[in-house]
Amino acid sequence: MTPALPLLLATLSLAAAVVLGPRWPRLWLAGTLTGAAAALGAALLVLTGGPEWEWRSAFAVGGEPLHARLDGISALFLALVSVVGAAGAAYSRGYWADDRYPVSAPSGRRWWSGLLLSLGFVLLSSNGLHFLMGWELFTVCAYFLITLDRGRRQVRSAGWLYLAAAHAGTICLFAFFATIAAETGSWELGPMHDRAALAPVFWLALIGFGVKAGVFPLHVWLPSAHANAPSHVSALLSGVALKMGIYGLVRFSGWLVLPAAAGWVVIAHGAASALLGIAFALGQNDLKRLLAYSSVENIGVVLIGLGGALLGLAQADPLHPGGPAWGRLALAGALLHVWNHGLFKSLLFFGAGSVLHATGTREMSRLGGLWRAMPWTAGLFALGAMAGAALPPLNGFVGEWLVYQGLFDAAIGRGPAAWAAMPAAIMLAMTGALALATFVKAAATVFLGAARTSAAQGAHEAGPWLRGPMLALAAACAAIGLAPVLFWPAIARAVDTWQPAWPAGAAPAPLATLGIVQVAFALLAGGAALWLWRRAHARGLRREPTWGCGFDAPSPRMQYTSGAFAAIATGWFAPVLQPERTLRRPRGPFPSRAFQLERVPEVVLERILVPLSDAVLWVSTLVRRLQHGRVQFYIVYVVAGLATLGAMVALEGNR
Amino acid sequence: MIALLESLLRMLVWLLLAPLLPGIVNRVKAWVAGRRGPPVLQLYYDLARLWRKNVVLSTLASPGFIAGPAVAWVAIAGAALLLPLGPGGSGPSFRGDVLLFVYLLALARFGTAWAAMETGSAFGGMGAAREVSYAVLAEVSLITAILALSVQSGSVTLATMLAPSAGPGAVLLAAGLFAVLLAENCRVPFDDPNTHLELTMIHEVMVLDHSGPPLAAILHGAAMKLLLFAVLLTQAVLPIGQHPPFVAAGALAAGVLGVTVGVGLVESLLARFAFRRVPLLLTTAFLLCLFALLLAWKGGAA
Repeated sequence: MTPALPLLLATLSLAAAVVLGPRWPRLWLAGTLTGAAAALGAALLVLTGGPEWEWRSAFAVGGEPLHARLDGISALFLALVSVVGAAGAAYSRGYWADDRYPVSAPSGRRWWSGLLLSLGFVLLSSNGLHFLMGWELFTVCAYFLITLDRGRRQVRSAGWLYLAAAHAGTICLFAFFATIAAETGSWELGPMHDRAALAPVFWLALIGFGVKAGVFPLHVWLPSAHANAPSHVSALLSGVALKMGIYGLVRFSGWLVLPAAAGWVVIAHGAASALLGIAFALGQNDLKRLLAYSSVENIGVVLIGLGGALLGLAQADPLHPGGPAWGRLALAGALLHVWNHGLFKSLLFFGAGSVLHATGTREMSRLGGLWRAMPWTAGLFALGAMAGAALPPLNGFVGEWLVYQGLFDAAIGRGPAAWAAMPAAIMLAMTGALALATFVKAAATVFLGAARTSAAQGAHEAGPWLRGPMLALAAACAAIGLAPVLFWPAIARAVDTWQPAWPAGAAPAPLATLGIVQVAFALLAGGAALWLWRRAHARGLRREPTWGCGFDAPSPRMQYTSGAFAAIATGWFAPVLQPERTLRRPRGPFPSRAFQLERVPEVVLERILVPLSDAVLWVSTLVRRLQHGRVQFYIVYVVAGLATLGAMVALEGNR
Repeated sequence: MIALLESLLRMLVWLLLAPLLPGIVNRVKAWVAGRRGPPVLQLYYDLARLWRKNVVLSTLASPGFIAGPAVAWVAIAGAALLLPLGPGGSGPSFRGDVLLFVYLLALARFGTAWAAMETGSAFGGMGAAREVSYAVLAEVSLITAILALSVQSGSVTLATMLAPSAGPGAVLLAAGLFAVLLAENCRVPFDDPNTHLELTMIHEVMVLDHSGPPLAAILHGAAMKLLLFAVLLTQAVLPIGQHPPFVAAGALAAGVLGVTVGVGLVESLLARFAFRRVPLLLTTAFLLCLFALLLAWKGGAA
């Protein structure tokens, strides 16, 4: 069976969902789920070893025939789009329901299916012009989804920032595809290994796709867009839309001849993104902003893997035409992490959405103690947090484990690449430990302890439409963690598509053994927890108020806040994070209000880009004074111009 | 079957010997101070007593308050099982197990910090924040040390990494790993296990609200972690793998004993550092490991 049939079905049902969505929510859900399932089926057909699929249309769109291609790489990303797209569609039914949002919910449904359709179009199209069209459609659909709730000012400014940044990136992509088309003489895309002259365009792709992927410091649009969008949209944006940037980088780094420094630049960017992204995440007080910055980190981890693969490729010789095997390992880790991050980040955003739905606030220091009211959400969020901190036995660990092994092998290989791999491994370790701090902070401040405000006290558990998708994503996270070997063929397929010269075959790392160890560990940990729980109850368990060190009137406000929890580590990064502290000490014998506020600003945006654009605006206002619509000044310009011309002619004549 | 039995036997060694170490540390401290000190087996008595005690739970605590210590204990035991025990061989040895080892220790930290945040007490937050923050620097040093061992042995498997003789950076590595051991196990000069002034504690302040069997799991896990780091340090530095089993076992035991006595001596002769100096000390540990890595790199190229 070729993927053609399921892909056609997916296109038709998603198109139907776009048309019918606003009026008929059930039909929309059915259409979107069918479309996602069909697309997933098509992707799995290729990933499980089916042949690649290629199709050219007889008709032309925009002067070019359609050229679709579903190979290992696009199938890998298509699978992620369909899984998260379907989960988000189901989630939005409970989260962004018609009775609460009578205006924006219907249009949201249309944009959602439209976004899925355009993402699929980008992944399948193998023509530069159509790629750009799909890319633009996807940007616009995402913009309207981000600004669904556009009554709020922050949402509008976040949407505007997103649109501006996305188009700055698209300009680079225009230049990128146009240069390729000019060089090859056609918009058709494909392997271009014989065109060494095209090597420098990789830098354009790195910037253009880097903006979309949210690589530090091109991430400026990301935190506010992901924090202010409705949570199911944040999940799709963080889990999937960012991956489109990664898709572009993986796709074209596999097809182009690369500049010699490509691997070095990519791995350095990845390491910087990972470390700074998680440092910023730790400093956030807004739950969704924290998750958004953690996406910057995970994109960094993926780029570390991709950079490792590029470095490996650069070391190719006649004996190893694809470079040493650690390149393959690093790329496999990066691609697996694409899936992993998509799954656990969507889960976490859904969890954050349920919290927001139940309490009306994203501010972590206003929450607390939610586990009692929403045990399902708390448990699933905790699982997502563990996956996000790359802890065994979940999926986040498996991806980073492969990336680490690639880096360690590169260091052991003692080639020049080791000088990139060793610092990258050390920075990855620091990232991992900071991610643990970040996720302990996020999960514990929100779900544990006592409720800090009345909003948190009145919380309620998420409904079945919210819980179901979270359960499905959590199951997927656990499955990849516990049985990674089942997912290896899919990853291997994509890796082999990227670099066919690498010897295909078994996993270069003992994934089966790791899976057995992880399963055994999970069983033992569960058993031990159960046993200790029963042992604690065996002799009668007493409940008492938390020990207050002799203080009789403890208040929920005495708990550690998110800012206090992060203060030690954010202090180390103070030169980069530039945390703002407002402190008012208690004064006098009868002190009045005392407080300390901590905030980590958007450093790149607020300290670099805004002053820069302010300067540009200032210069332009100066220039604008020259042209302000007063006729007499224009007459002066004309007279001055004529006089100058006359003087020039006169001087010329004298010579 | 034999392999399974062997694993069980090794696990027993870990479980039974671990509580000895804090006893030895306390004995050394008493000896230096000229006191009689508690019996070497004191922790065994404590554990047995705690295991039979009732549990008092905070009204705010969720089931995670008990699951956290349980998961942490299993994670430390799992990490211990991955670590080869000199001539006793190692557990499920596979490529990349060293990274699982590091991340299992991280999972243990997650479990303890999670449980600390459960009670809604300011002390829990204080301890958890300190623990996860200082662990950032400790984990970086640990990975650097492992990278040094890995470069020097050409392997990412614990069993082969720890087998060859000490590389050129052994002294640096030993000093760096010893500092990591002190930090990760919350010993002086990073933390004082004896103090009960909340403002100065890291580990103790996290477990203030635990009682009964869960506290026993935490204390036993902490002892196992100390033993684990002592074994790792000894095997990373001493060329144990090249000797006949009995000599190797003796050397390993002597090494662990030496490390433990060293911890006791440090604890007797040094005061706890102010918190703002802790990162400085950990950065020094990282630099030691980094130089060991560079020496390992140099040594192999020559």
